[in-house]
Amino acid sequence: MIFEVFRQEKRKDYHVHVGNVHAPNREMARMYAQVVHARRKPAHSLWVVPKEEIAEVDSDDEGVAMGGLTQKEYRWATNYNTDETFAEEIEASQREQEEAERGREEAAEGNG
Amino acid sequence: MQDHYKRYSMDIEEVKQRAGPREFGPTDDMPEEYRKAATRMIQFHANSEIMGAYIERPFIRQAPSLDRKLAVSAQVQDEIGHGQLLYRAAENLGIKTREQMLDELANGEGKFLNCFHYPLDDWYELPMIMFFVDGAAMRRQATLKRTSWEPYAHAIDKICFEEGFHIKHGESILAELASGTRRDQQRLQEAFDKWWPRILQFFGPTDDQSTHSDFSSAVGLKTMGNDALRTAFLNVYLPKAEKYGLEIPETPAVTFNDDTNRYEVEEEDLDWDEFMQIARNQYPQGVGQIDKRHRTQEAVEWVRDAIENPGAGSAAAD
Repeated sequence: MIFEVFRQEKRKDYHVHVGNVHAPNREMARMYAQVVHARRKPAHSLWVVPKEEIAEVDSDDEGVAMGGLTQKEYRWATNYNTDETFAEEIEASQREQEEAERGREEAAEGNG
Repeated sequence: MQDHYKRYSMDIEEVKQRAGPREFGPTDDMPEEYRKAATRMIQFHANSEIMGAYIERPFIRQAPSLDRKLAVSAQVQDEIGHGQLLYRAAENLGIKTREQMLDELANGEGKFLNCFHYPLDDWYELPMIMFFVDGAAMRRQATLKRTSWEPYAHAIDKICFEEGFHIKHGESILAELASGTRRDQQRLQEAFDKWWPRILQFFGPTDDQSTHSDFSSAVGLKTMGNDALRTAFLNVYLPKAEKYGLEIPETPAVTFNDDTNRYEVEEEDLDWDEFMQIARNQYPQGVGQIDKRHRTQEAVEWVRDAIENPGAGSAAAD
């Protein structure tokens, strides 16, 4: 059985997918996950999930429309600049959006 | 072995001692008092997202251009999504189920923000919600990234990511109307005069009058008091209003105190009776908004039924 592994580096971080392990059962999977994904790199917690239990939606699947494929400028803070300065929390939100935008561009270049 | 007969449960003193950003999560055995306080706070927030979406929804139809229509519908969609995230975060506390919270909202028992009890009359009023009220909400939400209930903080991460667009779009509508014809500017000012006192009441009663504040702050659920939040909001948004040519009404009186470096609001100029009537879900227009939500919930009951009991309806359809 394949188990996907999600690693949380420090307490309070999000769990991030880091790979998978092949194991005969849950208990062994937990052990392998520790050895493979938490022995060298520091980890605070691991989620070990049977692969077949994970439901996937793929952007190539028929009838799937996920963000990033169509033009949706109207959905981004960067599209509306009526003033020079904004409340700090608005600027923080915009920075996060810009970061996500760069991520999408890099991903698009990688695909091309 | 001792742990086997007595399940470890954190007591309130330990909660207060450990309280910090994202400190507690579903694997911690939190005392009931904490779980109830967190549920009350997150449910209020979730309800407000849903009712905020209902206030803005009519403007998908009334938007004056295709760009605005797309942006308003995206905002309404985001807000319903925020409601879903928050009900999940609240459900994790084990006090109420999502169903229960939705029923309470539809039956008029669920509480939500004062500003969403007042339906909007026209497009000129929309930036009052989309810029000022959402701006106030964003100010408050930014401080909740440091709340002690981790699932709440995770929901806030996503909400804050999306919300920057809402407020900037609201500001763009405001700027457009403010630079329009004299008639536009007049109607905008009228909308502002009507909404300004409600916006000042957004953060609720001052700290010394607030019922649940002390406990929520002590256990790290709330990270900033009502007074400090309102001041931080006014510091940014009052100059913004002036920048767009809006006159700040003389009452309720808002004055800048040079000594304390903060805005002070004449509390007696605000209608706290109306605020309390709203807080009890008894304000007539607010009741209308709740009824609207109730009717919608009933109207789509058949969808929930069809999803939860697949096949049950097919015999009737034959």
